[in-house]
Amino acid sequence: MTDLERLWDDYPTDPAPTRAILAAAHGRPRARRRLLVRPLLSAGVVTALAGAFVTGVFVSGGGDGGGDGGSPGAGPGGGGDLPRHVAFQADLAPAKSCADLLRAYVDRGLDQVGPWGWGMPDLKVYESSLSALSMKRDAAATPGTVRQNSSDTGTNVQETGVDEPDTVKTDGTLLAVVRGDELTTYDVTGSSTRRLGSLRLPGVADAEILLSGDTLVAVGADDGHRDTGTRVVTVSLADPTQPSVSDQVAYDARLVSARQHGSAIRIVLASPLPDLDFVSPGRHRTTRQALAENRRIVERSTIDDWLPTMAVDDGKATDLLDCGDVAVPSDAIAVGTTSVVGFAADAPAKVDAIALAGQTDIAYESADHLYLATSGNAFVDCIRCPYQAGPLLGRRNLGTSYLFDFALDGVRATHVASGQVEGVIRDRWSMDEAGGVLRVAVAPSSETGPFNAIVTFARDAQDLVERGRLDHLGRNEELQSVRWFDDLALLVTYRQVDPLYSVDLTDTAHPRLIGGLKVPGFSAYLHPLGKSRMIGVGEGPDGRGGWGARIGLFYVRDVRHVRLVNAISYGSDSQALAGGDPRTFTWLPSHRTILTVVERWAGDRRVGYLSVLRLAGGRLHEHRMAVEYGDDVDLVRAVPMPDGRVVLVTGEKAQFFEL
Amino acid sequence: MEPEDEKAYADYVEQSWPTLVRAAVFLGARPHEAEELAQATLVRCYTGWDRVSSADDRDAYVYRMLLNCLRDVRRTRWWKDRQYDVPPEPVDPGQPGQPGQPGQPGQPGQHGQHGQHGQHGHPDTAERIAVADAVHRALAALSKPARDVVVLRYFVQLTERQTAEALGVPPGTVKSRLSRALAHLAANDHLLDLSGGTK
Repeated sequence: MTDLERLWDDYPTDPAPTRAILAAAHGRPRARRRLLVRPLLSAGVVTALAGAFVTGVFVSGGGDGGGDGGSPGAGPGGGGDLPRHVAFQADLAPAKSCADLLRAYVDRGLDQVGPWGWGMPDLKVYESSLSALSMKRDAAATPGTVRQNSSDTGTNVQETGVDEPDTVKTDGTLLAVVRGDELTTYDVTGSSTRRLGSLRLPGVADAEILLSGDTLVAVGADDGHRDTGTRVVTVSLADPTQPSVSDQVAYDARLVSARQHGSAIRIVLASPLPDLDFVSPGRHRTTRQALAENRRIVERSTIDDWLPTMAVDDGKATDLLDCGDVAVPSDAIAVGTTSVVGFAADAPAKVDAIALAGQTDIAYESADHLYLATSGNAFVDCIRCPYQAGPLLGRRNLGTSYLFDFALDGVRATHVASGQVEGVIRDRWSMDEAGGVLRVAVAPSSETGPFNAIVTFARDAQDLVERGRLDHLGRNEELQSVRWFDDLALLVTYRQVDPLYSVDLTDTAHPRLIGGLKVPGFSAYLHPLGKSRMIGVGEGPDGRGGWGARIGLFYVRDVRHVRLVNAISYGSDSQALAGGDPRTFTWLPSHRTILTVVERWAGDRRVGYLSVLRLAGGRLHEHRMAVEYGDDVDLVRAVPMPDGRVVLVTGEKAQFFEL
Repeated sequence: MEPEDEKAYADYVEQSWPTLVRAAVFLGARPHEAEELAQATLVRCYTGWDRVSSADDRDAYVYRMLLNCLRDVRRTRWWKDRQYDVPPEPVDPGQPGQPGQPGQPGQPGQHGQHGQHGQHGHPDTAERIAVADAVHRALAALSKPARDVVVLRYFVQLTERQTAEALGVPPGTVKSRLSRALAHLAANDHLLDLSGGTK
């Protein structure tokens, strides 16, 4: 590093061209959407820039009236339609024709194209296709402190009854493990595990699996197009010694989430702005010409450029969506397409697909509803405002999250209500539904005060209407985790200490703060063991001047007075993976034991430990062992079997673990 | 903008400039692009300044802008055919004191030799190209997310929270990516080569 540090210091920089920057800044049209300003070569260009702005005016065209694209209301048109399921039963109307839909895409696209192509920053910059799947830091949800058990297939999930993909699945007799694209099956009925067979999953990268009967559904990035493609591979485990591929479906869209309800699988896919053949300014083309040409390119785009496709068994790609299954939401939502695709585990090629012509980043599924949400990230919107300050100035929805509520019925999803909330929804763990009421933990945005809030929503006809709210949670603090119960929410925010707030949700119209506890550090994942105890996995001071992973045992019998009973520190530079991926956390009620993965860096070596936390005498007793190294640490799982035994899965092995 | 905001903005431009330019280089921009990017970033920030000038969030916002500008450029132009269109200053083979390393980028302190190279006539041009080249080679071992974290957290010295906000990832991710990336860099032999590159 020292070499790089020296290079950093050595890099010669000129004095700031402050005057030029100010001049350029003043030249910016404050009331006109505009494109990426790209001053060419330092000072001399400022005038040229100003020129570009002036010429930018001619661009304004489609901004004002046309914005809302998809004309609301069913309207008289659409003659000759076959009777079909009405997928949009609330405020959103499906496009009446492909031409209408294309018009909406193009109108919005024109707002975002510049001399170098798409000028709008793409929001999900570093979200890899699976990261949304392999959930983020922030914690999880369950009933009033009620015990949270793993799913039937052995995964520690957010919502009871809604299974989530993981690298390991079991039905109690058979264990399937996927490592990258290599699927291995094990017999787990004997006294030791026995490897049965394996299969290389074709065309899929970083796969995770779901299990439905003897059908295994692998979902991952499409090998050829990792950032932009998704592949579903189903595998028959009828003969577990010889797993065989049944079907493959490839989508040219990024995976946002995958969930399983019984045998119905639902994936949410995101298609960002299409990759059009844009030009850039250069020797033969001025900035202005390039802009005009790029606008023409957008105008000439076809509906196929915008809508995702699917290809079955590597056959010809076909349209995933009918134009009439796509609805155009408010133009405050970034243009793009979010598809909701349902299929039966044993028939992945037969899909039920609908879509929103906008980008929503977050998907949360309860037992019978899917909620799509835009995060309302303030940055996102602030980045837009320089461009869209014009026509959108009065209604730019800075820092507002949009919610779309879909009712689920088997593989089918029906949009039933929409809503919005000021503030930022961090991720799916920030949402929870109980008793028909959606509860959302909202972090501050430009539209809120500097505090976190809990907001409850009820469906009222086509709207998700705010029912109650509790503000002023963790002023100037960052929301770290939430655990939801039917009538209670436990929230952790953080600045220097870990305030753990108890919020009474018995009356959802009036959420009430009933308790708060401050301890050093914070919990990124909360797991209730039962009515009395809860585990908090997070980080904090290690007691010797360092900072590292910490796991605490909380007494929550009286949620008004939550107490920290004891905490285990793992030393500096350690990290408990459950904070970012709760699937690395396993609660074994019958053994009163928790197994969870903690990593530590020893020099440049990443060591993964399995931490065994036994609950005895009202306290946690811990010991740990190194079980994996390097990247494979991410693959470590402790899988509970119905008979109470545990299989420890690592990068190479799957073996019973003696408790 | 109010005069006092204007003043604050100008001060911020002055004070943030060197770091922004360096960050752009470390994030993968070539020297001549780095200044443009820094400039474009600051110009972009002007419009939203009143909203972001609260000290806490400002840096996170500005660096998020920088990443976006970089991304815009990268997506549309030079990233696709990433080669150095401004070649390292050719080293005069006959020049004394540079024993036979024709591939070696130009050295600092030898400003005399590129005075007449048109647009690249700035005395520091060769050194910038050399440093940028060395940095890019060294950081090429990292994935883009890892590199972004290292640059923002380690070099720019944003806080963990600011880095997380700039990147749009949770703070825990910043922490784990950073430790992984630093470990990776520490083990990178390539860095050893750098010592010869500049000094």
